[in-house]
Amino acid sequence: MPETKRKHRDETNHRRGHSKPNRNSRKKKKTGPRLPSSLQKELDRLNPTAPIDSDQDIDSADGDGAERELLPQDFYEYEEQQAEEESKKNKRYDPGSVDQIQYDLPIERSDESEDEIIQSDDDNDDDDDDDGMRMTGDAADDDSSEEGDGRHTRMLQGITGMPSEAFEGKKKRKMKDDGIPELYPESEYNPSRDVVDGDGQISIDDLLNPLQDNPGFGKLRKRIQQIENNSKAIHAPLRTADQAKVERKAAYEISKKEVTKWQQIIQRNREAPTLLFDENIDLGFSTVGAIASEFEPRTEFERKMAALVSDDKVMEAYKKDGSRLLEMNTVSVEEEKDRQSRIAKMRSLLFRHELKAKRIKKIKSKTYHRLLKKDRLKTEYSKIQMDPEVAKEFAMKQERLRAEERMTLRHKNQNRWAKRILTRGLNSQDEGTRAAIAEQLQRHSELTRKMHSMKDSSSSSDGDDEDAGSDQDMGSKVLGKAIEKTMKVIQDDDETPKSGLLSLPFMRRGLEKNKAAAIEEANLALQEYKDSKKKLENSVGSEGPEATSISGRRVFGASKTQISDAGNKVKSDYNYGSSDSEDDLRASKNGNIETQRSNILQKDVNTDPVLIQEDTDNHQESVFKDFNEIVKNPGPKTTYEVSLFVSDTWKKAGNRDEKGTNVKKSAMPSGSVRQDRKDTEKEVEEDSDTDSEGQMVDRILTSGSKLSYELPSQEELIRQAFAGDDLEDEFEKDKMEILNAENPEPEKPVLLPGWGQWTHVQKKKGLPSWMLKEHENAWKKREEAIKKRKDAQLKNVIISEKLDKKAEKLHTKALPFPFTSKEAFEQSMRVPIGPESNPATAIGALNRPEVVKRPGVIIKPIQFEEVNPHEKPEERRGDKHRSKKNKGSGGRSMKKTSA
Amino acid sequence: MKVKVISRSVDDFTRERSQDLQRVFRNYDPSLRTQEKAVEYVRALNAVKLDKIFARPFIGAMDGHIDGVSCMAKNPTQLKWIFSGAMDGDIRLWDIASRRTVCQFPGHQGAVRGLTVSTDGRMLVSCGTDCTVRLWNTSADNIMELSNSTKNSVEPASVHVGKNAYLAVDHQWDSELFATAGAQLDIWNHNRSEPINSFQWGSDSVISVRFNPGEPNLLATSANDRSIMLYDLRMVSPVRKMIMMTKTNSIAWNPMEPINFTAANEDGNCYSYDARKLDEAKCVHRDHVSAVMDIDYSPTGREFVTGSYDRTVRFFYYNSGHSREIYHTKRMQRVFCVKFSGDGSYVISGSDDTNLRLWKAKASEQLGVVLPRERKKHEYHAAIKKRYMHLPEVKRIERHRHLPKPIYKAATLMRAMSDARKRKEERRKAHSAPGSVTTQPLRRRRIIKEVE
Repeated sequence: MPETKRKHRDETNHRRGHSKPNRNSRKKKKTGPRLPSSLQKELDRLNPTAPIDSDQDIDSADGDGAERELLPQDFYEYEEQQAEEESKKNKRYDPGSVDQIQYDLPIERSDESEDEIIQSDDDNDDDDDDDGMRMTGDAADDDSSEEGDGRHTRMLQGITGMPSEAFEGKKKRKMKDDGIPELYPESEYNPSRDVVDGDGQISIDDLLNPLQDNPGFGKLRKRIQQIENNSKAIHAPLRTADQAKVERKAAYEISKKEVTKWQQIIQRNREAPTLLFDENIDLGFSTVGAIASEFEPRTEFERKMAALVSDDKVMEAYKKDGSRLLEMNTVSVEEEKDRQSRIAKMRSLLFRHELKAKRIKKIKSKTYHRLLKKDRLKTEYSKIQMDPEVAKEFAMKQERLRAEERMTLRHKNQNRWAKRILTRGLNSQDEGTRAAIAEQLQRHSELTRKMHSMKDSSSSSDGDDEDAGSDQDMGSKVLGKAIEKTMKVIQDDDETPKSGLLSLPFMRRGLEKNKAAAIEEANLALQEYKDSKKKLENSVGSEGPEATSISGRRVFGASKTQISDAGNKVKSDYNYGSSDSEDDLRASKNGNIETQRSNILQKDVNTDPVLIQEDTDNHQESVFKDFNEIVKNPGPKTTYEVSLFVSDTWKKAGNRDEKGTNVKKSAMPSGSVRQDRKDTEKEVEEDSDTDSEGQMVDRILTSGSKLSYELPSQEELIRQAFAGDDLEDEFEKDKMEILNAENPEPEKPVLLPGWGQWTHVQKKKGLPSWMLKEHENAWKKREEAIKKRKDAQLKNVIISEKLDKKAEKLHTKALPFPFTSKEAFEQSMRVPIGPESNPATAIGALNRPEVVKRPGVIIKPIQFEEVNPHEKPEERRGDKHRSKKNKGSGGRSMKKTSA
Repeated sequence: MKVKVISRSVDDFTRERSQDLQRVFRNYDPSLRTQEKAVEYVRALNAVKLDKIFARPFIGAMDGHIDGVSCMAKNPTQLKWIFSGAMDGDIRLWDIASRRTVCQFPGHQGAVRGLTVSTDGRMLVSCGTDCTVRLWNTSADNIMELSNSTKNSVEPASVHVGKNAYLAVDHQWDSELFATAGAQLDIWNHNRSEPINSFQWGSDSVISVRFNPGEPNLLATSANDRSIMLYDLRMVSPVRKMIMMTKTNSIAWNPMEPINFTAANEDGNCYSYDARKLDEAKCVHRDHVSAVMDIDYSPTGREFVTGSYDRTVRFFYYNSGHSREIYHTKRMQRVFCVKFSGDGSYVISGSDDTNLRLWKAKASEQLGVVLPRERKKHEYHAAIKKRYMHLPEVKRIERHRHLPKPIYKAATLMRAMSDARKRKEERRKAHSAPGSVTTQPLRRRRIIKEVE
C-alpha cells in the first residue's frame, strides 16, 4: 500500500515534468563525457534506431554496462565541473544549462525501492530499462514529430561540438521566455521562473555536485549513478476509478491477510468442548477477618472506641483478668472424668431407649399396636393393684363411671338399637346380635356392681377347688390335685391364644418353644405323680384294655414291649401343637430322656389316662384321646413307619421315603386315620420303595411290546409322537395370517346400491372399469409386496416387517448432522452421564455445557493472542491455578471478562 | 477360615463438620444398571417437557417513549444501563433492573437513528435525521448526578452539524473513533468537530455501520443500493463491496470470531459471511417471514438475536440454518432494534409500539441465585437433552412453538412458494440439456456480485 501510494505520487510528479526533458536528460547524461564529436555522431546515428529494439540487449549489457560507465564517470568529474561552472555562470543567459539541471530530475526516484521495479515489471512490459542509450516509450511517441528537430540538433552539434541539449533548450526557452522580465534578482526567496514553473526544479544532482570535489563521496556517487541507470520511464496514470479499484483490491488483500491471523483462534474455540467466560473475577475480600483488618475509624465515636480498644492499659487489664478467670476455672481430673462417664451413660441409655422406641415405632402392624395398647392397659391394671395411690384414683374414676351409668342407664337397653331389637324379639335375632346385647348388659352390670363384689369374684375359684377336693382322702387327693394341675398346665399349653399380643405368629413361635420345655417337665412330673399314686392305690393295671375300649381304637402290636412307648408317645404328642421341623430335634431329645425313665415306667402307665380322662372336660377330650391313644399304642418302630406310608400323601412323599430320614414323621397323619388304614397299608409297605418306578417301567414296557419288537426309526418315532398335530399346516396358516395382516387384501369394489344406476343399462354394465383396474392394481401391489418380503423365499421363517411403533420413537430417521457414521452416533450416547452411574468427580466434566458464563459478568470481545497450533490447550495456560481448574474440562477459557 | 472384611480408615470417614455429607460408595458397574440408557432417555424427555413448562421468557416492558423505538445502545461497562432513541428525537437511559427511565437526553429535532456508547462508557453518541451528531457525557458519576437532580435533563457535550441526515452510528472498540453513516461514511474523533475521514463508494446512502469489536479497524456498512461494504481504517480505504438482491438492514460482527459477520437482510433471512470470502455466505439463517430489521450477537459469539418486521424476535445459533427460539407477544409491534445484554443472558428489544422489552435469552432459564446442586441438575438436564435431541420425540417437543396466526400462515405460504420454485427449477433442469441449467445454492443465490 505505501508503495502504491508513493508510486502514485511519483507518477503525478513525473507527469509534470515532460517526456521530452526526460529523454534529454538521458542523453545529456550519456553525452556528458565529452566524446570526440565524430564518435558522438556515430552514437547518435545508431541510437535512433535503438530505442524500440531489444530488452535482452540491455539486460545482458547491464552488468558490464555498469562497469563501462564507471570509467567515463571518472573522467567527467572534471568535465562536468566545467559544465556546472558554465551553468552557474550563464544561469540567466544560457538556458541550456538550466535545462541540463532540470532534466536530471528523475533523481527523485532514487528513493524508489526494488519493489517498485518489480511491480512495474508486471505492470508494463513495454516499459523498458535502458542504459540511457535509448529513448523511452514516451519519447518514441514524440519521435516522429521531432524527427526534424533531432536532425537539426545533430547538425548544430556537429558544427559547434556542444551537446545537443543546449540547442533544444534554447529553442524551448525562447518559447517560454516571451518577455516577462525578472523584477528581483534571483535568490532563494525569489526563485527564478524556471524553478517556479517546475522546469528549474532543484535536483539531487544540484545538491551533489558541490560534493564532487570532496573525497569520500565516491560511493554515494556510484550508487546514484546506478540508480539513474536502472531507472525507467513512468507509466501513464490510470483513470481515478481504476486507480481506486486497484487500491481497494490491494487493500483487501492486505486486510484479508491481516484478518486471517484469527483463523487459528477461531478454529480452536469452535472445537473446544467448552468455552469458559467466567474467569478472572476478583471479588475482593471474602472473609470477615480480611474486611475487619481494613477497618479504619472515621467518625468521632468510632475513633473513641478504637482508642479504647487499642489502649494499652485496658488491654493489660483485660489480659490479667482473663488469666485470673482461667485460674478459677480449674476442675480436677477425676471430677471431669466422672462427669463425662455420667454423661456417657446417660447418653447411651437415651440412645438405647431411642433405638427401641424407633424400632417399635417402625412396626407397622395395626394389630400389634392395638395389642400393645391392651397390654399397657393391663399393666396399668396391675399397677392399680400394686399402688394404693393409683388404685385410689382408679377407684374414683370407676366410681364416676358407675354413677354415670346408674344415671344414664346407657347400657341397659336404653338406646334405640337395643330397643328395636327387643321389640322384634331377641329370639329372632342372630347369634351376633344376641351376643352384643348380652355383652352390653354385662357391661352394665359390671359398671353398676359395687367395688367389693369385684374382689369376691377373684377369690371364688379357689374356694371351689377346695370344695371339690374335699371328698377324697388326703394322699390321693393331693396327688390327684397335682396331676390335675399338671394336666391343666399341659392342656393350657395346647390352647393357643386366639387373640392378644400372643396370637401374633412370631410371638406364638417363641411361646411354643417355651411351651415345649414346660410340657416336657410337666410330663415328667405327671409320671412321677402317677407312679406314686399307683403305689398308694396298689391297684393292678387292668384298666388299660378298658381304656382302649372306651376310646374305641384298635391297637396294633400292643403285645410288644412298652419300653419304647414313652419315646413314641412324646413324639406323637409334639406333633399336635408344633410345626414339623422342630419335631425331630425334640423327639430325639425326648427319646433319650424317656428311655432313661423307661425302666421305671411299666405297663401300668396305661391305667392313668383313664383316670385323667374321667376328670377332664368334654371339650378337651380330643386332646386327651390322642394322648391316651399314643400312650396306649406303643407299637414298635417298624409299624410306626409303615403307618407313615399309609397316609394319603405317600405318593408325594415317595421320593423322600427312600432317604429314610426322620422327616417322614412329620408327614404323619392324625392317629385315627393311621389306625383305620393300617391293615391295608401293611402289604404296600413291603415294596413301597420301588413301587412307583416299577409301575412306570411296567407301563412303557407293555405298550412297547404290544406294537412291535422292532425298534422304529427316529423319524417314525417323531412322526408317531406328533401324529395328531399338523404343525406345518399350522405354521403356514400363521404365516398367511401375518402376511395378510401386514399386507391387507384390497377390498372388493362395491357399488353403492342405487348409485349411478338410473337405468337397467347401467346396471348391466356392472362395475366401472377404473374401479376394476384399481382393484387389480391393488392386488398386484400386494403380491409384489409379498414377493419383496424378506421371508418370501424362506419357507419355514416368518420375518415380521411390521414397524414397532414404540421402538420407532427411539430411532432417528436419518443420521443427524454432526455425525458421520451410524456407529459414531450410537457411540455418542452409549455411556450414561448421570450421577447414578458416574462418580462425582467425573460428572462435572461429562455434563459441562458448551458455554460457561456467569450471569452479571460482562463478556468483552475477543483479543488477539498468539496461538501455537501444535500446542495442547492446557500447556498454553500461564498460571497454575487456572490450568488446574480446567484440567477436567478441556475447555477453552476466554479471558476477556470483567466483573 | 478366611473372612473378608471391609477395612476403612477412620480418617476418610470422619466428617469435619456435621453439615458435611457422608461418604457414599456406589458400584458403577454398568452391568448392574442395564436400563440406564432408557432411564436417561426418559429423563431427557422430561427435561424437554420441563423446559416447556418453565419457558417464561418475557420479563417486562419498559414504556416511556412516545414514539417507536428506533435504536438502542448498551453501555459496555454497565450491565443494567441501556440507551434507547425514539423516532420523536427522545433519548432515554433505562435501568434494566428496575425497568425505569434514569434520565433523558433531549435535543434531537427529528428521529434519532443511531446511538452508540464509547468503550469506557463515558461518551454517548447519537445521530439522527436532523443532520446532527450529538455527544453526551454519560460517565457514571454524571448519570448519578443527573438521576438525582430534579430537572432530569442533560446538555450535550458537543453537537456537530452535517449536511445530510445520519442514519447510523457506531463506536470503535477501545478508541476515540466513531463512524456515522448517511450520505457517506464519516469517521469522527471525539475531540474534533469535523469528520477525520469520509468515504463514499457508490451514490446511495449508507444505512448501517458496525465496527468489528475484535479487529477494531475493520468496519462494515450496508447501503441502500443493496450493498455490503467493508472498510479498513488502517488503509484508510474501502476494501470490498458485495451486492445482494435485497438490501441489508443491519450488520453484526461476531465478537468472538472477528472474521465473521452476519447481515440482516430485507428478504427475511440472515446471511453469515466470512469477510475474506464474500462470494458465498457461510450460512443462511432462515425463519423470519418479513424483513429482519436488526441483529445483535451474543457476547459469547455462539448465538445472535434478530428483530424483525414480522413482530417477532428470534434467536439463532451462529451456525444453524433455523432459529432455536422465537419470542412474540400480542402487543409487540414491528421490532426495530434488538440488543443482547453484556453478559449474554438477557435480550432487549425495541419496537414500534414505543416499548422496550426485556427477555431472557434462554426462555426457561432459572433466574436468581442458583445453588450448586441446582446448577448441576440444570447442567445434567442440558447434557442429556443435547444427547437425545435427535430422537424424534424429544426433537418434536423441543421444536414445538406456538406462533401467532399471521406468522404461521406466512411461514406456510413462504414454504409453499419456495417449494414451488424448487419444483419448477427441478423440472426445468429435467427438461433441458444436461448441464445447461445449474442451480445455485441458497448461500450464493442471493448474491449478485462482488465489486472490487
